[in-house]
Amino acid sequence: MTGYIIRRILWGVALLVIICAATFVLFRIFPTGNPAVLRAGRDPQPKEIAEIERVLGLNKPLIVQFWDYLKSVLLHFDFGYSYYSDESVRGLIGERLEATASLTIGAAVLWFIGGLGVGIVSALRRHSLLDRAAMGTALVLISAPEFWLGLIALFLFSSDIGRWKVFPGAGSYVPITSDPWKWFTSLIMPWFVLAAGGAAVYARLMRGSLIEVMGEDYIRTARAKGLEERRVTRQGVRASINPIVTLLALETGALLGGAVVVETVFNIPGVGLLAYQSITHSDFAVVQGTVLLAAMFIIVANIVVDIAYAYLDPRVRYS
Amino acid sequence: MTSIRIVAAISLASALALALAGCGSSSSSPSVGSGTSVVSTGGFQSPLTQSLTAGKRGGTLVVLNETEFEHLDPGIAYYNIDYEVVDVTQRALYSYKPNTTTEATPDMASGPPEIAADNRTITIHIREGIHFSPPVDREVTSEDVAYAIERGANPDVANAYFHSYFDSVEGGPKAEGGPIKGIQTPNKHTIVFHLTEPKAQIVADALVLPLSAAVPKEYAEKFDKNKPSNYADYQVATGPYMLKNNSEGKVLGVGYIPGKSATLVRNPNWNPKTDFRPAYLNEILIKIGGTTTVIGRQVLEGTDMVQNEAPNQASVRLAAEKFKSQLEISPGAGTHYIAVNNKVGPFSNIDLRKALWAALDRAAMDKARGGELVTNVMTHFLYPTIPGFEQAGGLAGPKVDYNEHPEGDMAIAEKYIRLAGYAKGKYSGGQTLEVVGSRSSPAEQDAEVVNQTLKNLGFTTKFTLVEPSTMYSKYCGVPKEEIDVCPSVGWIADFADPQTVLNITFNGKFINPVESNNWGQVDDPTINAAMTAAESVTGTSARATAWAKIDDELVADAAAIPFDWDKQANIEGSGVDGVGDLWDSGEWDYDYSSLK
Amino acid sequence: MSVGRLEALPPGGEGLEFLDLGGEIAARSPLQLFWMRFRQDRLALASFAFIVLLIVVAVAAPLVVEVLGLPGPNVQNLNLTDSFGSPLGPSLAHPFGVDQLGQDVMSRVIYGARVSLEVAIIGTGMASVIGVVIGMLAGFYPGWVDTLLSRTIDAFLSIPILLLGLGIGAACAVKGCVGGTIQPGLGVIIFLIAIATWPYMARLVRGLVLSLREHEFVDASRALGASDMRIMFREILPNLTAPIIVYASLQIPFNILFEATLSYLGVGIRPPTASWGQMIASATPIFNTAWWYMTFPGLALLFTVLAFNLLGDGLRDALSPRAA
Repeated sequence: MTGYIIRRILWGVALLVIICAATFVLFRIFPTGNPAVLRAGRDPQPKEIAEIERVLGLNKPLIVQFWDYLKSVLLHFDFGYSYYSDESVRGLIGERLEATASLTIGAAVLWFIGGLGVGIVSALRRHSLLDRAAMGTALVLISAPEFWLGLIALFLFSSDIGRWKVFPGAGSYVPITSDPWKWFTSLIMPWFVLAAGGAAVYARLMRGSLIEVMGEDYIRTARAKGLEERRVTRQGVRASINPIVTLLALETGALLGGAVVVETVFNIPGVGLLAYQSITHSDFAVVQGTVLLAAMFIIVANIVVDIAYAYLDPRVRYS
Repeated sequence: MTSIRIVAAISLASALALALAGCGSSSSSPSVGSGTSVVSTGGFQSPLTQSLTAGKRGGTLVVLNETEFEHLDPGIAYYNIDYEVVDVTQRALYSYKPNTTTEATPDMASGPPEIAADNRTITIHIREGIHFSPPVDREVTSEDVAYAIERGANPDVANAYFHSYFDSVEGGPKAEGGPIKGIQTPNKHTIVFHLTEPKAQIVADALVLPLSAAVPKEYAEKFDKNKPSNYADYQVATGPYMLKNNSEGKVLGVGYIPGKSATLVRNPNWNPKTDFRPAYLNEILIKIGGTTTVIGRQVLEGTDMVQNEAPNQASVRLAAEKFKSQLEISPGAGTHYIAVNNKVGPFSNIDLRKALWAALDRAAMDKARGGELVTNVMTHFLYPTIPGFEQAGGLAGPKVDYNEHPEGDMAIAEKYIRLAGYAKGKYSGGQTLEVVGSRSSPAEQDAEVVNQTLKNLGFTTKFTLVEPSTMYSKYCGVPKEEIDVCPSVGWIADFADPQTVLNITFNGKFINPVESNNWGQVDDPTINAAMTAAESVTGTSARATAWAKIDDELVADAAAIPFDWDKQANIEGSGVDGVGDLWDSGEWDYDYSSLK
Repeated sequence: MSVGRLEALPPGGEGLEFLDLGGEIAARSPLQLFWMRFRQDRLALASFAFIVLLIVVAVAAPLVVEVLGLPGPNVQNLNLTDSFGSPLGPSLAHPFGVDQLGQDVMSRVIYGARVSLEVAIIGTGMASVIGVVIGMLAGFYPGWVDTLLSRTIDAFLSIPILLLGLGIGAACAVKGCVGGTIQPGLGVIIFLIAIATWPYMARLVRGLVLSLREHEFVDASRALGASDMRIMFREILPNLTAPIIVYASLQIPFNILFEATLSYLGVGIRPPTASWGQMIASATPIFNTAWWYMTFPGLALLFTVLAFNLLGDGLRDALSPRAA
């Protein structure tokens, strides 16, 4: 077992380095602008640009740049400095992590509970009106583009410009430490928008999974033995929950990297919005940092799930 | 040393200022300009009609900024957004009062600049009794002004204006942040500039830039040694207000929290007797972030807030319909025009340029920007409030056939296409045009109108919209990319001298390999020569005439295609008595604004 | 990144083993069985009809627009804005209103279908081809080939695809990439879809091939002297057609939303070409007053994606004996 864990983690680290290298090369070959020029201000002399390039290390060969970067990341945990704002990348991402974490963790909780609840009820009341309505809504929510759902939500419920002024509008996010109530209310709409699609998927999956399990022999046996329906259901749920939990871990991993779209629509100062802005500004160092962060969470989530599977199914350990 | 020239310059400037400001402040029709051209401000207040002396002392003004500051260091400050803070914390040698763009009031200087007869020496006397804010505290001397300008040449500061205006100072071109031979300080309250060329007028005019705001060398040089300089994070002030700082002078994290807020408090060492500014407010709290739609609403429906940047169309409309007394319209907020590639591609042919000019529906493009309230159809390159605007034709502009129809005239366009050699009146050459516009509303709508017009003329286009900064830094500002049409460029003067509007944008010697502001690569030898000559003209009126002539020549050359003279709308809360700066697109000036 | 729910598909292809791969002879052919079941699913039939209708409308867009009496999608008319430059809302002449340039929204929504369908079909097609080939190779050849390809799939799956899409989209914005072979607009989007989504198909195919490899019919073929290529493409591949089609049909909605998101963020389809996502982006600055410009393209996206989702569901249910 330990062997498997070690191998898995080693591969995860290797993946991270590969992705780091890939984005490094990609965003240097396909840049959206010369960052030295962006920094130089108006009417720069070629001399000034050359100086900035020298300071930022942009005129060294790619390999050397990458090696320098890797060293500073691994040894000093230093991800470089933003070309745009002179702040350290680590600092920038650190500031914004709280907002993204608030958004994604809240959304994940919401969709887990929502998806689970709706899925269970739907499965137990198969083919009823409730089931059809729930599954119908779920389908619609999966099919709507996230950014559009966000705009519709703002249009209807935003307290500044909406039809019914219920929730605070875009741009009203504050950290939990400064005003917990405002933090909470400003996140309600983003949570629902972000969770909507996910909850719908979970609901469908849960429903399918539970229906399948409830048809199994051992459930029928339990019923025949006179076990209360509620306890039978609970057994069924426990058995069918595996794929859902797996998915939750995987999705959260991808999410924490930045729910770019929701942050853009609701103007939440998180890592996703930072990534988007830094890409359009050719702010390499920040782009590098955010992509690495996102990849890291995906990889970690995958490792956790794989190890959990290995624990439950010994055959996996030898693959 | 006084001379006839200076007296003449001052009286002309004063006369002009009186002519412009005089009709504004007392009469009820808010407009700028004299004679036949009148730029309407729709009946709303404008910087020309506001009182500068009737405010009430006290209170905290809340300002909502949509975007982050770029550079708060007075030696680097370049974008409009930075002027909001720099203008009230730093005293340049000369400044404009809110209601004028032609008369510079001595600020840190105690009197007008003394220009020697040979046009190569400028002597300025510094006021006594001006002190830096804590923790520096001491009195400002001429050496501090000298250092402020010299550090502009330091590559770790890299002031964007230094080489444009101060290269004629002896030692300027090769300066790297050290002492400059041509800037001398014979005593603690006198500074003298020695020039290698007779360009004293433009150098003196350039001293309204924040670059000339005193910086204490012994305090700042340790920050200026960093790459880049972080003096901004520890800056001191000479104006009525300062960024809040701690006892070590640190502003970053105290008075300025990037992405969140900036706090301006009264400068305890500011002596009102040395200053013409009233400084009514006690504190100014700037909040950064949010969307313009929301900010607009919050400001209009609130009492003690103002929006810093120009509000969007929805907010302007809301104000114009429901909050009339809270809307201010300021003429002279710059230009928007289309840069076409004069060097390579189809538009190197002057007739095709004229054809595009004739065909373009400038009125429609202005409508997409918000209509007559915030635009005027642009007919030449100098804009209202810049000296020379009237001489160059005023609102109507030069009378050439391709300029006569703001709604576009396809017949005239076709005539020019035939002149270019395409007998059918439509372009039939094989080249595809690369068109790169800005992906921001309303610039993207204007770009689409241009794209459609090009297609109507027979061109095939490859049309892309990108982020504004990318558009400038990667495409339109890089001659090597050979972009054919840049429909989203524009300009606003560095200060109110026509040279700052036309020179860097249309003079062939300013075509840089990167970050070129001569986006169309305009390089006509006759016009270049005329501009170089006009750089040395003295006297506001003479300069106005000289550059107006150049404006006419640019129109005759169809060097670029103009479409919009901007008027900026600014909004305030119901409890705010805002005063806007005419020289800054009417944006609110906290030195003069107050709460009711 | 939450653009869609590709991860919701069982990665190893579980749930699709129902296929009678090389098993007993059925009383009816699988195709007949499939059609029988599919016919009974009215929702799936309805969505199939909707999709066919959409394709027809997209192909015949100019005709449709003319029949409805609408101006073309790129006809600018600034007279249809008020004195502040704000566009006018729905009216008889313009049932969906106009945008800031006075262009008719209904007309643009109709033409927008072209973009979404092209992206869906071409992009998914390319991703599927790549995925199938690589998945096949990985599943068929154990050892270092499989390891290498599997690791590659792993690596691609760890990249945040929206960020990748943004980066490449932004970089290829004006002049295109790879020396001009990838043109900005539709070219870039299809390229992005292909490289971002092939791993999912590859993973599925690899899993299926792995299980199929051990069956007797493969051994029989080999005994008869068939080459690897022949076995892969003549024996194994036909058995995978059903799951591949189901999976591809589930990828299509994801890809449509991916293009819409990239266009919304400014790196996708460029104006004046009408793309539903790009229209919503243009509408965003004024959406609180000009609601029509944001709503109708959004509804178009919603219904199209919904139809494909329902179709995919129907296909899967019809192919699976375990009807829910």
